[in-house]
Amino acid sequence: MEQPESTLSEDRRQFIKKVLKGTIAGSLLLVLPAGAGNLKVPEQIKGIRNRPWELAKQNFAFIVDITRCIGCGSCCVADKREFNVPDGHYRTWVERYLKDFDDAVYVDSPKGGLDGYQEPRTDIKKEIRDTFFVPKLCNMCHEPSCVQVCPVGATYRSPDGFVLVDSDRCVGCAYCIQACPYSVRFLHPVTHTAEKCTWCYHRVRKGLLPACVEVCPTGARKFGDLNDPESEVTQILKGPGVLTVLKKEMGNWPALYYKGLRREVV
Amino acid sequence: MQSTYNSHVKRIVVGLIVIVALGLAGKKLLAPKSFGVYGHYRADAIEEAAAIEIRHGTNASCLSCHPFEAQIHLSGKHSTISCEFCHGPYADHAKNGKKIGTLPVKTGEEIKILCLRCHNRAIQARPGEVIKTVIMPAHLEEQKVKTTHICNQCHHVHAPLRYINHAKRIVGMQEAS
Repeated sequence: MEQPESTLSEDRRQFIKKVLKGTIAGSLLLVLPAGAGNLKVPEQIKGIRNRPWELAKQNFAFIVDITRCIGCGSCCVADKREFNVPDGHYRTWVERYLKDFDDAVYVDSPKGGLDGYQEPRTDIKKEIRDTFFVPKLCNMCHEPSCVQVCPVGATYRSPDGFVLVDSDRCVGCAYCIQACPYSVRFLHPVTHTAEKCTWCYHRVRKGLLPACVEVCPTGARKFGDLNDPESEVTQILKGPGVLTVLKKEMGNWPALYYKGLRREVV
Repeated sequence: MQSTYNSHVKRIVVGLIVIVALGLAGKKLLAPKSFGVYGHYRADAIEEAAAIEIRHGTNASCLSCHPFEAQIHLSGKHSTISCEFCHGPYADHAKNGKKIGTLPVKTGEEIKILCLRCHNRAIQARPGEVIKTVIMPAHLEEQKVKTTHICNQCHHVHAPLRYINHAKRIVGMQEAS
């Protein structure tokens, strides 16, 4: 009589223990930021996971190093795959610039650099003085013209500095596409809403680098937090390299910097 | 006279109040939840944008399950190359730690095209300190191999100098003796 009774109470104790453990584990999952709980990938941008995201305290910058870009188009491929970008549209693309000795500039970007640059240009008869690649993406302006013109409040600059599109509210009027000085926006052919590069906001919030930065083989694309004095972007911005932004005179104050950019680039 | 003037004012005031109340009620009903918390947009859209699932992992996510490839890949000059660039995104291959699909492995002529995306010297703007480039088929002729050779017949795709250095070690030993 004694024996079965004790096993029963033992079972009950075990059961209560398990319920308690489960509850604690479950509530922990709810507390942790979305995605980080089941993500096994090591964090790439330090100090994002396992703490609440403070919208007002972020300061991210993107640096494209022209002197290191070899025009392989890895970034374009990664971008297309990450967002299933429809054919013929590009969230990011790579342009090839050629400059002859008369300072004439020739620009091309076959398929946005998606297939890379397999062949040199043969249509230019003059001797070429300088060739370089310029990757283009959203400039994440501090004063974005696209946000200013949106009539329905679908595109916005969030307090953490990312210019994003709320596709639920977008009516597809394409004002923002006309307003963007950098032509980074397009109308999605299926949803008919505006789309643009987000600097992979969904990845950054999970502590990962944007897909294009992650795949760049030469480190031509750099992304990081300017609040972190140790981050690579802070070091570059503090350093002596020539850093410029595109179309400064537009007054959009981009957060995208180019290192080693030639003045011909627009 | 005085009383009719008052009634006019009353009517206007009551009318205005009704219009304002209707306007406010309409705004309350029609404006989406969380609209205007940070500005003229839906504040919830920020969290929605953050919640999109990632499709690319990192090299660490691939190599954690492929230790053999990892030790080769990380040992060579190609260690900075993303696995997913050649093989495809993580999301097409694994989900919650389980395999859901097979990613392609490039073969033959595809490999040559892939190599030359970066290593083709005919495309200028590829500085020597950033990347080693070759002219095809001059490189094959220089190395005294058939011009039909595919890059991976000499170069391991994950660690391009693996076999070459190995061969040099053997040849070097012979030359020394």
